[in-house]
Amino acid sequence: MDELFTYYDMFASKGPEYLIIIGFFIVIVAFWTFVNMSTER
Amino acid sequence: MDRRTFLKIFGSGVAGATTGNLLSPGRSFAKGDLSGQEFNGILVDTTRCIGCRRCEKACAEVNGLPIPDISESKNEDVLKEPRNTSDTQYTVITKYETEKGTIFVPKRCMHCNQPGCAAACLVKAMKKRPTGHVTWDSNCIGCRLCMISCPFDIPKFEYNKAMPRIQKCNLCYERFKKGELPGCVEACPTGALMSGSRRQILEEGKRRISDNPDKYVDHIYGEYEVGGTSHLYLSAVPFEQIGFRKDLGTVAYPEYSTGFLFAVPFIFVLWPLAMLGINRATKKSKEDEGHHEEHHNEKGKH
Amino acid sequence: MAGEKLNLVDVVPEKQEGPSFKRISDFIDFIKKELKPRGNIATPFNLISLPIMLLGYVLIVLRLAYGLGQPITNLNQQYPWGLWIGFDVVTGVAFAGGAYVLCFIVYILRVEKYHAIIRATVLNGFLAYLFYAGAIVLDIGRWWNIYNPMIGNDFGVNAVMFLVAWHFFLYMLAELVEFSPAIAEWLGLRRLRKILGIMTLGAVVFGITLSTLHQSGLGALMMMAKSKIHPLWYTEFIPILYFVSSIFAGLSMVIFEGSITHKVFSYQVDASHHEHYNDILVGLARICSVAMFGYFFLKVLLVVHEHAVQYINSPMGYWWLFEVIGFILVPCFLFASGAQQRNMAMIKFAAIITMVGIILNRLNYTFLAYNWYVPLSEKYWPSWIELIITASIILTEVWAFRWMVNRMPVLKAPPAWAVEKEH
Repeated sequence: MDELFTYYDMFASKGPEYLIIIGFFIVIVAFWTFVNMSTER
Repeated sequence: MDRRTFLKIFGSGVAGATTGNLLSPGRSFAKGDLSGQEFNGILVDTTRCIGCRRCEKACAEVNGLPIPDISESKNEDVLKEPRNTSDTQYTVITKYETEKGTIFVPKRCMHCNQPGCAAACLVKAMKKRPTGHVTWDSNCIGCRLCMISCPFDIPKFEYNKAMPRIQKCNLCYERFKKGELPGCVEACPTGALMSGSRRQILEEGKRRISDNPDKYVDHIYGEYEVGGTSHLYLSAVPFEQIGFRKDLGTVAYPEYSTGFLFAVPFIFVLWPLAMLGINRATKKSKEDEGHHEEHHNEKGKH
Repeated sequence: MAGEKLNLVDVVPEKQEGPSFKRISDFIDFIKKELKPRGNIATPFNLISLPIMLLGYVLIVLRLAYGLGQPITNLNQQYPWGLWIGFDVVTGVAFAGGAYVLCFIVYILRVEKYHAIIRATVLNGFLAYLFYAGAIVLDIGRWWNIYNPMIGNDFGVNAVMFLVAWHFFLYMLAELVEFSPAIAEWLGLRRLRKILGIMTLGAVVFGITLSTLHQSGLGALMMMAKSKIHPLWYTEFIPILYFVSSIFAGLSMVIFEGSITHKVFSYQVDASHHEHYNDILVGLARICSVAMFGYFFLKVLLVVHEHAVQYINSPMGYWWLFEVIGFILVPCFLFASGAQQRNMAMIKFAAIITMVGIILNRLNYTFLAYNWYVPLSEKYWPSWIELIITASIILTEVWAFRWMVNRMPVLKAPPAWAVEKEH
């Protein structure tokens, strides 16, 4: 069957995934600061 | 197909002679004996099916299910609706209007080479037999995960019974053990159904396609789908037009659960050690301990 | 920290010494006495819950007599699993996850702050398994065969369900061992109490391992439904999503359940505990928030990984966004800001939203996003009988919980003889 011979990139999602990870690293700094902020102390 | 050519190629005349008149030539290949490890299956040539529903009736008779009325007028009515196998019908014929006219497709359990239902069963009630038959047994607890795990939605559950069973085609396993043909194959008047070992029916299917390239699409449904099935289908039109899913992939369904299942022993070894390690590492040293205890008794705690 | 620890010794426990049994008949008399209801029977809760429970029991008998078909359940050939497995079992087990998370924090990491709520949480977890996972008996069609995977008829070692079944069974035993010191204290069995105390660490380590595996295993059950679950939800990493979500699902349940029990049983705990309890809630809210933050990114990453981004702009995609934003991102933020402002109402509200989100998520896998291509008119919706039986099971669990809390040292202080031996 024809579709058995069409190439598809199994790793196409890796690039966007790494970009999301970089975004995660940036957001986690703000998030961690926010979580550990305390209005009292 | 020309019967003589067929006999010449596969020599099933010999088989017919040895296993009795039930195995009339043209309907079956030689039966593998029970010890044989070869899968058996049925080749369904949808170009030959005329929608007479005799397979349905024979199936019901063989399996003790309600006998359907298959008179011509009744058939016309029944086939108007889209149909599905049910807890009282192991096989059904569905009618499709396609670019090449009306096509009838008998549907039943595909008897996957690596069945999802059998992999899902926690008591091995659903089993793939060495002979290729996928059968159900009464030690089933009725969890219905086989229904969820079947890519073809084949196992059916008797919801309206206090003591329900899972119902599906078992490729006439009991008849097979007696050397008989599956009920549907025996009843088929046009040779649309042909039983034999998977290797044989696959070769036959390929031969039909190469002999009649204009008649068939160049694909045998079940050759690679979900890791291969023991029921194989030939068609004149692309399979999606006659109700087959083309998005199931070629990976055997049990493979999808192996990632988790194969990780289980690792967790069983690593987790307890990691936790005992952390527990030991967070333990206070001797002096702290004394201090701690003192504190304990004085304050009390829970 | 340690100074804030529960100051419970000056509150004299009701039965300082506990019962003593000289003869078997003493024991029977004690149990008889304990079985009797205490206090006012005609409370509004009792008056509302009792009829529902009784109706539920009648319906359970009918279900066993007539099978699962209409009108008992709306299950059909297209939707083999409905409310009973999707909510009672799969969601119920996620909600019971608080027990293993807190056991890890208290017994493995030795964070003493949370010690005060460990018994109530473990009891809640144990009862959840007993009743909700026990509800599986109603759902499985051939329930009289339920012991088959246990006795080897047959050991289906190929199956994820086999693992889950055994884990349920073993984990119930582990949780019973974890909770058993409270039972021994109730019965005044000192020597047994000592032995059970020693067994706690073993039960905890074993229990956490089992929990890791069956929380994720419940997700792994759906692995072979690849062609049926919507691509936004189906991924090869469902087990990891189930495991991570069980952390905040369980803790949200702890927050929710705790806020009710501390109101209802407030006479059992003293004032200093109440102040300390708010510290605990703030801590739990932080953990939930961080876990949900991670879970949110996992959800997004997996949609990209599964090449399912194009489905976002479709009705099912909006449903996915509703779940991920409304029930993960929003409560994640509410937990964080509730913890920051020590706003208990906000924390409890976030816990409730989180729990609704977990229910939606688990039901998505069992029937909402399962066979998603089926037209709405043919979709499965729970029947009223399924709902009543579910409510009846939950209420029975609440009654059992109340009975035990009123008699055993769950919230109240353990008897003095047991305190020194703790740890």
